[in-house]
Amino acid sequence: MTSLSKILASATALCALSGTAYAGEGESIIKDRRIGYVTTDLHWTMYQTADGKAECPKGLSPNGPREIFKTLFPDMGPVEKTQLAREALKMYPGDMGGNKFDYIEVTGNIALGLNLDGKVGPKDFTSPMGEKGIDNAFYRVTGCNSQFRGPEGQLQLFANKQIPDFGYNRILLEVTEVDDLANDPDVTVTIARGRDPLLLDATGEKVAPGGTQRVDATYGAKVIQKFKGKIVDGVLTTEAKDGKWPWQIFGGVPRSLAVRDMRFSMKLTPHSADGLIAGYFDNESLYRWLTSWSTHHLSYGQLEAGEFYWEILKNADGHPGKDGKMTAISSAITLNMAQVYIEHPEKAVASDAPAAPAKAETVQTARH
Amino acid sequence: MKQAFKLALSAGFLVTGAVSAAEQKTVEDYAHVPMPAGVQVVMSELEGPVFADAQGKTLYSWPQRAMRVGFSGDPKGKSTCTDVVTTKTAGMMSPWPAGMDLPDVDKRLSCAATWPPLLAPEGAKPIGAWTVIVRPDGKKQWAYDQLPVYTSILDKAPGVANGGSGTLESGGSGTQPARLPVNPPLNAPPGFKVTTTVAGRMLVNDKDYAIYIWDKDPANKSVCTGECARTWHPVLAPAAAQPQGEWTIVQRAPGERQWAFRKKPVYTYAQDLRRESIAGDDMPGWHNVFTQKGPAHPAEFTTQMALTGDVLADAGGKTIYYYTCGDDSLDQMACDTMDSPQVYRIAIAGGADWDRALKMWPYVPAPANAKAPSQVWSIVYVDPKTGREAVSHQQGAQRVWAYRGRPVYTYAGDKEPGDIEGNGMGEWQGKRNGFRAFYTKEVFGRRGG
Repeated sequence: MTSLSKILASATALCALSGTAYAGEGESIIKDRRIGYVTTDLHWTMYQTADGKAECPKGLSPNGPREIFKTLFPDMGPVEKTQLAREALKMYPGDMGGNKFDYIEVTGNIALGLNLDGKVGPKDFTSPMGEKGIDNAFYRVTGCNSQFRGPEGQLQLFANKQIPDFGYNRILLEVTEVDDLANDPDVTVTIARGRDPLLLDATGEKVAPGGTQRVDATYGAKVIQKFKGKIVDGVLTTEAKDGKWPWQIFGGVPRSLAVRDMRFSMKLTPHSADGLIAGYFDNESLYRWLTSWSTHHLSYGQLEAGEFYWEILKNADGHPGKDGKMTAISSAITLNMAQVYIEHPEKAVASDAPAAPAKAETVQTARH
Repeated sequence: MKQAFKLALSAGFLVTGAVSAAEQKTVEDYAHVPMPAGVQVVMSELEGPVFADAQGKTLYSWPQRAMRVGFSGDPKGKSTCTDVVTTKTAGMMSPWPAGMDLPDVDKRLSCAATWPPLLAPEGAKPIGAWTVIVRPDGKKQWAYDQLPVYTSILDKAPGVANGGSGTLESGGSGTQPARLPVNPPLNAPPGFKVTTTVAGRMLVNDKDYAIYIWDKDPANKSVCTGECARTWHPVLAPAAAQPQGEWTIVQRAPGERQWAFRKKPVYTYAQDLRRESIAGDDMPGWHNVFTQKGPAHPAEFTTQMALTGDVLADAGGKTIYYYTCGDDSLDQMACDTMDSPQVYRIAIAGGADWDRALKMWPYVPAPANAKAPSQVWSIVYVDPKTGREAVSHQQGAQRVWAYRGRPVYTYAGDKEPGDIEGNGMGEWQGKRNGFRAFYTKEVFGRRGG
């Protein structure tokens, strides 16, 4: 046995003793019939060709706040009739009554996402793999806007950057009652928020699996949601039910996306979970999410908030309201997660320090 | 140097601003530094000890800061706050350009009229950190730490600091540079600072990490050892350190000395992995440390749990919001007071529609029997049709709660206790011109981390 082999053998034996070893794909990583993951990356699904001509033959949307301001107010004027008038419309976009400037939509027929309604409709997309009936009307709104296109789009880039940076976004997914990570007909999926920093690899940039996250059962109690699901060939799919997904894209402005018929489709491994959150995103909550991004930031991608609002209304395709108008728009978010060990408040790790009853959190961990 | 002191209202001018009832209250200790004649230290409920002029008016500085376009505020040794009345926007806050007409210019005051400089007499000599600068009009002005100091026309009584506050969130280069009360140095060993929060003047270390104390520690002794000390890091005192004011030294082990504040050993929390985090305060028995507690809130108000922390709410559980605004003029004037142009607030609150603004962002009425619990919280009469302060008998005037002299609001979009749907509404996440939820404890920090 070479020295290297000896080291590997010793490490393997040590890992086996520790009880948390990666003994094999889908095996010992499951403890007490549960496995947990933490969010590492979040992007609106965005199908892009290299030159963008397939999906956006007319180019990208040209009219952002700066361009529109210049068109409307070449001679400036009183601040309340110019700047504040534009900011007022951002707060109350309904006052516009409809789109006022050209907005370029996706005209291609390929998109990422899921078939939410089980039908193949005339406005549905086809997935890059050829699956028909993909419901992603929001992509029609975002696909030709540079804010949303990757990798350099301001929103696509920074909204994701805030995932590791902001504790508010530390969303966990725990699969319980799971016996086999490859195939299990009946599992439960719990969404919750973690309270701990992410475990990073040696580069300090990438999230590594194997960290620990305490469930935030106090301030994060409203985030906790349960879904029934199944695993087929390593892919977890859940039932569809109304839910919410917290996603803060700017410091100090927490927002949650309200999602009708929310569901998950995630490829599970012992180290990661990668896939989609899909459903019908409530129009108003989606707009409020976007407008936590300042007009300054929206300007970088020629994204005028009011125009965007009316595009959402125009393309909304789910959950008609009393007036028959659609209140939600189909879409999907690409979600990447790393495996973590999830600690629940009732399973506190004992410490010789805090002995009194919990004020808010009941656990602490020495793991950093 | 002074020890921590208990003071009563009757103790004199020093505490006029600090004690709002005839009860004793612990206030922040400060280093007694040399001051020019006429300058004094008064206690502010919110800002702690602040320098004040001879009438007790709080002194402020306006530190220069880089904006999205250019710089604003005073550089060291120079005042940019002049007698010139600005009439146009300066275009400092992207994306809007310079050159728009500012509102109500006929009533607009100059910077110097709004922020009267603390003038120095002819022949004034520097003393301590106080120096004399020459204003653009040739007059002499006092400066502290080389920054010119001013009073605010919003401050009507000693200890009031309605002009500016460290509690307001900075929006970085996207918002106006704040005018901040000038505090005398904290009477504390090197390595400790105080930050102004709604909950009080909170101790942090020199890297802005929170300081904690533990219920189980007896006076001047630490029993946090072993695993506890790995989670709660004792703040160690150097070998040559000596007790100072309210600070003493605890012997943890031979050669290992720990700072104690008001006899309680102090720690940092290993899981506070970013500045401004106060996660340790959630742990049983552990607390943040305040040199003085923040002012009391109105009695009928409640505290509600939001997704991001505790927020102040009205009696029905609706989150309280404050409105903040700074215009984009060269002198970066406030536009969030009852005296300032209301078009900024109405644009955000109602889309320029006054009725909608009142419906969506109503004032918070003060009950008939309510009394102001502190100097910071007051009851004012407001004319809802103009947003201006009214007199009590004026027809239609509303009797409402105000924080730092500015009315507070609830938001019609909040449906359940703990909702903060209105938080961040406005320009630059509500920090430039908009509404912010009134946190009493922000778990994820001002930066959201």
